[in-house]
Amino acid sequence: MSDRQRGRGIGLVTLAAAVAALVAVAVASAGGSRQAACGDVSLNENSWVGSTANVYVVKNVLEKKLKCKVTVTNITEGQPAFQAMADGKIDVVLEDWDNSLVQSNKKYVTTKSIVPVGNNGIAGIIGWYIPRYLLKQYPQFKTWKGLKGKESVFKTAESSPNAGTFLGGDPSYVQKDRALIKELGLNLKHVVSGAEPAQVARWTTLYKQHKPVIFYWYDPQYLNAIYDLYRVQLPKRFKGCIDDEKAKGNHACEYAGYPTLDKFVSSEFAKSGSPALKVVRKFKWTSADQNFVSNLISGKHMDKDKAAAAWVAKNKAKVNSWLK
Amino acid sequence: MSTITEARAVTTPVVSHVPWWRGKIVQVAAIVAVMWLAYRGWKTEYPWPNDLVWNGLQARFDSIQTYLIDQRLEGGGGLLFSIFDAFRVFADNLVTWFNDLLTWLTWIGTTVTGTLLAWRFGGLRAGGWALGAFATFAISGLWAESMETLALMLAAVGLSVLIGVPLGIAAGRSRRFDRAITPFLDAAQIVPAFAYLMPVVLFFSIGYAAAVVATMIYAIPPCIRITALGIRRVPVNTVEAAASMGATNRQMLTKVQLPMSRRMLLLGLNQTIMFALSMVVIAGLIGGGGLGAVVNSGLFSNPALAILAGTVIVVMAMAFDRITEAIADRTDPTKRHLDAAAKRRLRIESFVVAVVIAGTIVVAKAIGVSGNFPDSAGIRQRTVTAQEWLLAQIQKVLDYVADPTTWVFQVTEAIGNFILTKLLLPLQAFLVEAPWFTTLGGLVVIAFVVSGLRPAITTFFMLALIGFMGVWALAMDTLSQVLVATLIAVVLGFGLGVWASESRTVSGIMRPISDVLQTLPQLVYIIPFIYLMPVSIVPGIVAAVLYAFPVVVRLVERGLKDVAPETVEAAGAFGATRAQIVRKVKIPLAGDAIMLGVNQGIIMVLAVVVIGGLVGSGGLGYEVAQGLVRGQFGQGVIASIAILALGIALDRVTQGARQARKEDIA
Repeated sequence: MSDRQRGRGIGLVTLAAAVAALVAVAVASAGGSRQAACGDVSLNENSWVGSTANVYVVKNVLEKKLKCKVTVTNITEGQPAFQAMADGKIDVVLEDWDNSLVQSNKKYVTTKSIVPVGNNGIAGIIGWYIPRYLLKQYPQFKTWKGLKGKESVFKTAESSPNAGTFLGGDPSYVQKDRALIKELGLNLKHVVSGAEPAQVARWTTLYKQHKPVIFYWYDPQYLNAIYDLYRVQLPKRFKGCIDDEKAKGNHACEYAGYPTLDKFVSSEFAKSGSPALKVVRKFKWTSADQNFVSNLISGKHMDKDKAAAAWVAKNKAKVNSWLK
Repeated sequence: MSTITEARAVTTPVVSHVPWWRGKIVQVAAIVAVMWLAYRGWKTEYPWPNDLVWNGLQARFDSIQTYLIDQRLEGGGGLLFSIFDAFRVFADNLVTWFNDLLTWLTWIGTTVTGTLLAWRFGGLRAGGWALGAFATFAISGLWAESMETLALMLAAVGLSVLIGVPLGIAAGRSRRFDRAITPFLDAAQIVPAFAYLMPVVLFFSIGYAAAVVATMIYAIPPCIRITALGIRRVPVNTVEAAASMGATNRQMLTKVQLPMSRRMLLLGLNQTIMFALSMVVIAGLIGGGGLGAVVNSGLFSNPALAILAGTVIVVMAMAFDRITEAIADRTDPTKRHLDAAAKRRLRIESFVVAVVIAGTIVVAKAIGVSGNFPDSAGIRQRTVTAQEWLLAQIQKVLDYVADPTTWVFQVTEAIGNFILTKLLLPLQAFLVEAPWFTTLGGLVVIAFVVSGLRPAITTFFMLALIGFMGVWALAMDTLSQVLVATLIAVVLGFGLGVWASESRTVSGIMRPISDVLQTLPQLVYIIPFIYLMPVSIVPGIVAAVLYAFPVVVRLVERGLKDVAPETVEAAGAFGATRAQIVRKVKIPLAGDAIMLGVNQGIIMVLAVVVIGGLVGSGGLGYEVAQGLVRGQFGQGVIASIAILALGIALDRVTQGARQARKEDIA
């Protein structure tokens, strides 16, 4: 065996030497290639399309107007993203749905590992949605009271005969539907429908078949422009309910609105004085703006950068206001 | 993926006269009947009692998380964190360095280097696979992402081998060490990767390092197992001969055991790469970047792109698989005898390869070829066109699938509803709603009847642990899904396995299919099924079945092919037809391999439980997924431990059943 190895030796040595030489040159040339006027900025894209729209529009502005070198990361929202900011791995989150208020995440704000830089101008709404065509036959479904006794309209193979099925939301999203169903005494079976693409697959199939369906959903969302949905009125929020909710008790009122969706930057980036920071601070648009870009990306399958560029070209005034 | 287990399968070619299962099936049926009566009588009246639950457990785990975050943020953290930090910096740099190297080589240089190296060590076909893979990266328009994933794989696999091979050697040489690490290896493979993402993020932050660590946790166990197996397989008389000639311990290892197990070591490398590649998407969640990130973001914004990126991952996996396998075969000392002329030729080949690679790179650098593939406007335009065309084709299929008016939907919806209403819901209700004590007792007694005392005791403790942690109902829900998925996977796998063992064509067709199913990220191929079967639990079951049945096919096929040819000939001489030979001779003789198929099927199904949670299966999988993303560490940990407990119980019972069967035969 050793004979054979020796026999091959020379060839292998040549090969190894060649590779080693290449490696040495690569190491020598690897440094000093990154340089840009405004510096490097990393924006974190989250799993919902709205977030993609935010990120690519800001990316477009930073790259085209300020000549920044922008990288897009895809870190899961909440704790993973915050930890990444604390460690200086990512600079900017452009849309946070109150993850910073979760008990275990508060530390990131109090230690100034992540720095709030205002909101992105969009109001978030969470609630129970039904297709609007259902209201023709069941006008009472406009409020939760109308659902009572009529739950079997929403029955599927999974629910018992006189109960209906409620499609829960993505496990990563804020939700309290199980508690709501119980507190309101509705005969609905809460079914976890999984990650958002899975949930969308479920309710759009039923929508296309013109069948009844009730599900957890939210706005802004580009699909709301394609499918005509109606938000069922849940019991109004009142002080007692909000206090109860804080004490993790009774949940019998509608979801808190999200009048603001927050932007965060890492402490490092906040101190950097980069011109990009100013744009991130000033970045603000509307649900309609975001849905326009989201629809180009997800509905029309346009390239993300091109979709952002299309919006920027149409909204010069708004973009300029971020640059002032 | 099953090289480890295939090797463990030792068929005992003896058949007892009494069918081995007759007695046991009757007994199990009787126990189930009693459980069913209890279920009818006291439906939902006795859920797991609150007094037997440790309610503060979740809060305790949560406080560990809070403690870690505090330590991390407020500096301090001490020695432990500085060790983690050092590794983090090292791993980050390693991946970045590989990535820079691949970029520096330029796309032409990388392609030529990869292809020629594969050709030199693996032969013409291996070279072809490498070239095909690089072409796929280029045509898909995902060159940069592919290089990033490749760099991540090089780092993760390299480090896994660095740790796994020495441990594997130790395990191969010492039974005691082997027994000591086996539970950890089992745990690393059954505990869902989602469960350890959060601790990994806390210790290693986000980025390449975290991705490398998460990948290593999953990829090291097969490396250790196969290395150990290779060392152990070296014939005893060879080892004894060397010892009698006075070989020292070190000589024994370096001159006898390692060279003789070379082929197995290379197969270990092959499996390490395969396992590592199956983590690409999950690693993308915590900063692995590359193709994994494209899949993750694509799933939400552009499913066609996610499917395209998933396909590129599959091509990369298949290329790695075929190339390492070819290298393993070519370097196998038992197969290769080189004469002087052949050696000379190889030397010249090596020289030519080195010169061509170096030349290509020098020329490419000189004329300014870039690191990323489409580097001139003309090529870029063509790449964009190619990518758009591919995406449009995938989108067409997706649109068709998402259309509930097609006949396909009529068929699949009916199948989905059948599985749901006839199998899943009844079993789920039975396991979840029956009085806890009859379910617990019944399952333990079944374990005893099927496989003996020790597995029964294990089952009892595992089920008790699940109840104690307060996830009894969720675990029973998951168990019902695991049982149904395993049943379907075994029936399907058994049928196809028998067919494949009798037909070369089927066997040939099955291989690429099983490669695709085991390396394509499950979330990618499961989305179409959600459209086709709009009921919550079923797509998760489909994902599990698709992931598990190829292993069953492979084990059954192998078991049947390994039946001694003399036995088959003898049966033929007595005038048995082909069907009779399969049914009466081969299947009974291959019983052990088939039982192993059941065992492996269950383990594979459990591995997909979390993915099921992401597509609407609920149960423990959903808890784990939600635990990660909503920052509920305790919830995720408890559900993961419960999955592990279920896995251990099911593994021991099915393993025990194999043992019991062997004893019956003897």
